[in-house]
Amino acid sequence: MDNYEYIIEMKHITKRFPRIVANDDVSISIKKGEIYALLGENGAGKTTIMSVLFGMYEPDEGEIYIRGEKVNITSPRQATMLGIGMVQQHFRLISNYTVTENIILGSEPQNKLFGFIPHVDIKKSNAEIAALSEKYGLKVDPLAVISDLNVSTQQRVEILKMLYRDAEILIFDEPTAVLTPQEIEFLLEIIRGLRDSGKTIIIITHKLEEIKAIADRCAILNHGRLIDIKDVKDTSTTELARLMVGHEVSFTVDKEEARPGDTVLKVENLTVCNEQGYKAVDDVSFKIHSGEIFALAGVAGNGQNELADAIAGLKQVRSGKIVLDGLDITGMSIRERIENGMSYIPEDRQKVGLIMGFSLKDNLAVRKYYTDSFSHHTIINDQTFDEHGKRLIDDYDIRSSDGNSTIVRAMSGGNQQKAMIAREIDMNGKLIVFMQPTRGLDVGAISNIHKRIVAERDRGAAILLISLELDEVMNCADTIGVIYDGRINRIAKASELTVNEVGNYMMGVSRSEIQDGRDDMQKEGGEGA
Amino acid sequence: MKKLMVRLLSGEKHQMFRISVFAVVISLIFGAVVLLMISTNPFASYLNLLQGSGLAPKHSYAGMRNMFTDFMSFLDAMTPMIFASLSVMVALKGGLFNIGVSGMMLVSSFCATALVGYSSLSAGIARPLVLITGIVSGALVGAIIGALKFKFNINEVVSSIMLNYIFMYVLTFFINSYYLDPVSRQSINISDSARLTIIDIKAFGLKFDVPLAFILAILAAFIIRFVMNRTTIGYEIKAVGLSPAAANYAGINIRKNILLTMVVSGALAGLAGVTYYCGYVGSIQPGVVPGLGFNAIAVALLGCSDPIGCILASFLITVISKGSIYMSSQQGVEIELADLITAFILIFSACSGFIKEYTDKAERQLKEKNFNEKKGGAQA
Repeated sequence: MDNYEYIIEMKHITKRFPRIVANDDVSISIKKGEIYALLGENGAGKTTIMSVLFGMYEPDEGEIYIRGEKVNITSPRQATMLGIGMVQQHFRLISNYTVTENIILGSEPQNKLFGFIPHVDIKKSNAEIAALSEKYGLKVDPLAVISDLNVSTQQRVEILKMLYRDAEILIFDEPTAVLTPQEIEFLLEIIRGLRDSGKTIIIITHKLEEIKAIADRCAILNHGRLIDIKDVKDTSTTELARLMVGHEVSFTVDKEEARPGDTVLKVENLTVCNEQGYKAVDDVSFKIHSGEIFALAGVAGNGQNELADAIAGLKQVRSGKIVLDGLDITGMSIRERIENGMSYIPEDRQKVGLIMGFSLKDNLAVRKYYTDSFSHHTIINDQTFDEHGKRLIDDYDIRSSDGNSTIVRAMSGGNQQKAMIAREIDMNGKLIVFMQPTRGLDVGAISNIHKRIVAERDRGAAILLISLELDEVMNCADTIGVIYDGRINRIAKASELTVNEVGNYMMGVSRSEIQDGRDDMQKEGGEGA
Repeated sequence: MKKLMVRLLSGEKHQMFRISVFAVVISLIFGAVVLLMISTNPFASYLNLLQGSGLAPKHSYAGMRNMFTDFMSFLDAMTPMIFASLSVMVALKGGLFNIGVSGMMLVSSFCATALVGYSSLSAGIARPLVLITGIVSGALVGAIIGALKFKFNINEVVSSIMLNYIFMYVLTFFINSYYLDPVSRQSINISDSARLTIIDIKAFGLKFDVPLAFILAILAAFIIRFVMNRTTIGYEIKAVGLSPAAANYAGINIRKNILLTMVVSGALAGLAGVTYYCGYVGSIQPGVVPGLGFNAIAVALLGCSDPIGCILASFLITVISKGSIYMSSQQGVEIELADLITAFILIFSACSGFIKEYTDKAERQLKEKNFNEKKGGAQA
């Protein structure tokens, strides 16, 4: 039966959009039972080619063969019938339905009540889903409602959705972008398990370590063209990065010794409650000086969001004080804080950081539209809006189909992020709060943003960098604070801490325990010598 | 069929406008089918609509009346519709759904009637006062809805629909108690000098009405357009409407903008109220929530939430409602048939999003097909 060499063959696929060629003559072939990675920068055309495979776009040119047969995939439904499943970057789940209801939606098993009234056999489905999740080691409660689940569990639901439809070919679009390090490891485990049970897996990513960790082969795309296909075991991350970006990239951040000046931000005994009334930030105190990068490390959900929102004025403070450059800003409005020199890059760019229905130039002007050169007696000065937008687009290499007047919703996630960062850095603030600034960005863009952060520090700004990526914290920080369960577990100079120590503090291990561990290690080391 | 739709409706330039026109045409075809089913000539019926609105000449006219008389009366009926649809549109831009236009209209017109309508002020003072009273009282009702929204987070749909009935019953009580004309069972007609329409003016050997506020309505549409597109006020309102969380993050005062949006929307609804009850009609009918306030929602949607679109949509809907009386008398069909055609238009314009999707998709498919055929031809 299996008289084909490749389960998927995509030959000479070209897909054009207005003003841009997303895929230019791309050919890839994937063997059954392998983990195949698609690597590329933001906007390199990875998602497009997979959307073509999944039937969301039809290619302008090229042919697709599945199991050796030529197919013409015109809809996701048809792709599903061919055994192709895809987990999108943004999940497609109905938040007030249960896990089971979400999974069976569209192919519900029916029962006939009194022999003729059709209704969904939810009991049978629940049992099926439970069995399915058992079989593949994807722990979920079939009866749980989606809105109560965390991101990583929701992702598992998405995976189950594919498996329920007997998908043989599983496509993951940047599956780890939204996960914490522990969750990533768990997901990679799951993916390996799926391969071992005979599934073919395609994973879209720009994280090199993940590719090294799980992929068998890897295709590198750049600007819509296929650059190379590599056997992962025969290549290095440095080589992959070079192929992907098109030039050498350094993983370390070049920066000189910090020259901290006066205290810019002083947080004193700050307590912030979340919506449930839980003390998400509990009696936190720290200081950031001008010319210093203070990186706050921590596992997701330990109060980072609440802390950042409280400093930026989006959330009310329960008790404590926030002092910016000698000025008590605890009770100030958001705009007053902005005018006093605060910039904030929030974590959720789609809901908070950007107005998705506005054009790019309107979004770039969102902090300044009411100031003198942007408007006069409330009448908007179009020219300033245009010039301001154009300058930031050029300076920060923000790519979009229509420049200034592109609606931000139509831009890629990476470029949305760049736009937001450009706008905030351009404020020349005294304090810049970065919340996960490089989330969802590729290596090239990350190193660019890190350079910008360091440049802002050298300009004399105080930087609060809140990140879930330990590498980012270790690379950028002058001072590291570790937050655990709403409390600062440890603050120290970056040079005084090792990655492992920070990791341990992130898990809530207390300082004395770590100190003991270090002594033991030294002792052992001493004995060994 | 598909090809035709793609040719007519694809492309970005004025696409929503063309789709709206398309929706109207399809609705008229559906209306024609219904008319045929009750064995009425659809062309004659539609001509009657135009004739009734003064856009086409009738066969005969009463003394001192002609097409121009009808047309002026048509503009008189269209004026409140423009204001009302602008009111809905402004609220939509700010992310609010104002169903309370009817209630606002009642309040504003009642205030203007009671305060100015029965006074003996001269026209030069009374008419501006009616307008100002309408604007202020409408804005106040808007402010109530806005305040309920931002103080207690009460959904504006719920509060405005409730207020419609509260105002209707309260004002019915006052009209019945103090201002009732026992013959017409409506409020006593306001004085001619306070009325925003000059009735039966005689000039050029004709008798006609002059809707004084019509120019104001057109002007208002252009002002709203300017404010929405070219000022920071509009920028803030739109930002709050599109994404409250992002607007808040940007330092925009959400509460102020919700209030402002509802105040402006209320002021426009107030103008709709006075131009309707203190202009076109001249008295208030107690116990009735004016349907115009609800039709305005549909008109605003048909007008693609654009002020100029609102004028065009108001024009169309008023042609149908105004001309329906003549159509019904000429063709012997029920007057409700006009409502049916309006309903078709509203249904199809509500589908405009779908029509857009459909044509965009059809366009893509067509392009691909053409491409493949070309390629096939080349190979052969």
